[in-house]
Amino acid sequence: MPIGRGVRRRFRGSGSGYLLVLPAMLAATAFLYVPMALSAYWSFTDFNGLVPPKWVGLANYHELLTDPLFLQAARNTAVFVVLAQGIGPILGLASAVLLNNKLRLRSLFRAAYFIPVMTSLVVVATIWKMLLNSNGLVNVIFGFFHLPTTSWLNNPSTALPSVVVTSVWQGFGFETVIFLAAMQAIPREYYEAALIDGASAWGRFRHVTLPGLRRTIIFVYVIGIIQASQVFDQVFVMTQGGPIESTNTVVNELVNRFNSLQLGQASAIAYLLAVVLALVSFLQIRVFESRE
Amino acid sequence: MIQQRRATRLLLYAIAIVTSVIMIVPLYWMLATSFKPPGDVFASPIKWIPDPWTLANYRDVFTLLPFGRFFINSVIVTLSIVAINILFDTAAAYAFAKLRFPGRDFLFFVLLITLMVPFQVNLIPLFRIMVALHRISPYLGVNTYFGLIAPSAIQVFGIFLLRQYISSIPDDILDSARVDGASEFKILRSIVFPLAGPGIATLAIFTFLSAWNDFLWPLIVTQTDQMRTLPVGLALLARKQEINWGDTMAGTVVTAMPMIVVFLVLQRRFIEGLTRGAIK
Repeated sequence: MPIGRGVRRRFRGSGSGYLLVLPAMLAATAFLYVPMALSAYWSFTDFNGLVPPKWVGLANYHELLTDPLFLQAARNTAVFVVLAQGIGPILGLASAVLLNNKLRLRSLFRAAYFIPVMTSLVVVATIWKMLLNSNGLVNVIFGFFHLPTTSWLNNPSTALPSVVVTSVWQGFGFETVIFLAAMQAIPREYYEAALIDGASAWGRFRHVTLPGLRRTIIFVYVIGIIQASQVFDQVFVMTQGGPIESTNTVVNELVNRFNSLQLGQASAIAYLLAVVLALVSFLQIRVFESRE
Repeated sequence: MIQQRRATRLLLYAIAIVTSVIMIVPLYWMLATSFKPPGDVFASPIKWIPDPWTLANYRDVFTLLPFGRFFINSVIVTLSIVAINILFDTAAAYAFAKLRFPGRDFLFFVLLITLMVPFQVNLIPLFRIMVALHRISPYLGVNTYFGLIAPSAIQVFGIFLLRQYISSIPDDILDSARVDGASEFKILRSIVFPLAGPGIATLAIFTFLSAWNDFLWPLIVTQTDQMRTLPVGLALLARKQEINWGDTMAGTVVTAMPMIVVFLVLQRRFIEGLTRGAIK
């Protein structure tokens, strides 16, 4: 942390300092700290928003962790995270490697991958809901190639994978762009040295590109897993959690309980999510750093 | 050897073209469907080009459905959030980077902690705070612009990002301005803002994207069509049992187009800004 040197500067601008951080601190208090404290408290209470909350200790957490509906949502979310984060960043990396080959029209290809990132998940989910309709374009194309067709979003075994495909299609261009920028920051000399040593294309990728992307990979996965765990917009538009709860996610379940005025349980879901995300992020960073 | 290289390059181009087509076709299909009469949406054999084509869907979206209103709401909310963030975040970032006052590092640390907390934790209390505020004044709280904008009035990530940029401004410049008798506010306005320009641009891009596309909070805090933003209005339309796909796709185009146009016009700046934010 850069600390100005010299004692004589110590209290320069104290008054203005407080004044300048005041708006941010006020907003943080009203819209971050107070809400965080309230929902922490509510997560230990029976609360429907109409009568004052009643303290119940860990009952909400206990109920959630034994509630098949919530456990199903947790499982679905885990599957979504693993699939989406298993595919998305790899696609992003592969397409960045592709574009890093000095292809002509590179910025055009990059734009094609990136445009869905600019449009919201709601937009993309709406488009894919139409494409995946039983009479939709996906089935037309699959039928043309004699591939199996189904009513993708109404079939419990294809609904969640369909949401994954939609999400990956929307988001991987972000990773493409990030990886591409990071690759271009790797010094050319490293590649030249590897070439002189007779390294193959794979060898250069494995021993020059990948190590050069270490920090970027950590960033992409930490952010990616946090975002994927909060999956909601796509589900809201495409499936509403169905069919038979096969796409119900943690945040969708939170919103459902909020709508049915189970505010204590909804708050407990939010805190469970927060704790799991903090742990996962911490572990990821530790694992990556220990490999350094 | 050369032939092999040539074959590889051809293969690379083939992959790039096929994948780009997979990215473009859904967007093209959105556009094409928005110009089709209802009977042609799922026509068999499919109609790649709308024939006959019609503007009726767009007329519906702006007359039968309040997409005009959604659009105005989205513009007001997004621009307000971007402007407020640039102002508040830069001010706070400057103080955290360059001014010394007791408790500074503690306050900054306490802000950073909130980055660990997902928005869902704050969702329900925020909603109830907004309900309470609405009882005090009809212009505050749920179903108002205030309710849509206020929770995004600061972004801790933005303060963090700008602090990095402002730290790199040499102290000498600031000190000589102080010797000339400039107040901290004057310095902020005439030195920090211009010199932190790239950082502020990055913040503006991130904020613009996330505010325009934000969904969960606008969904919860708005209650009538009068106050819905584009993504919320669109999602509630697309969620219905019986969907009029022509109208829905026209609404989708209206929601997506501003971002796509802004991106295509400012492509280089956008990508530079985003990657700068991510790689920092």
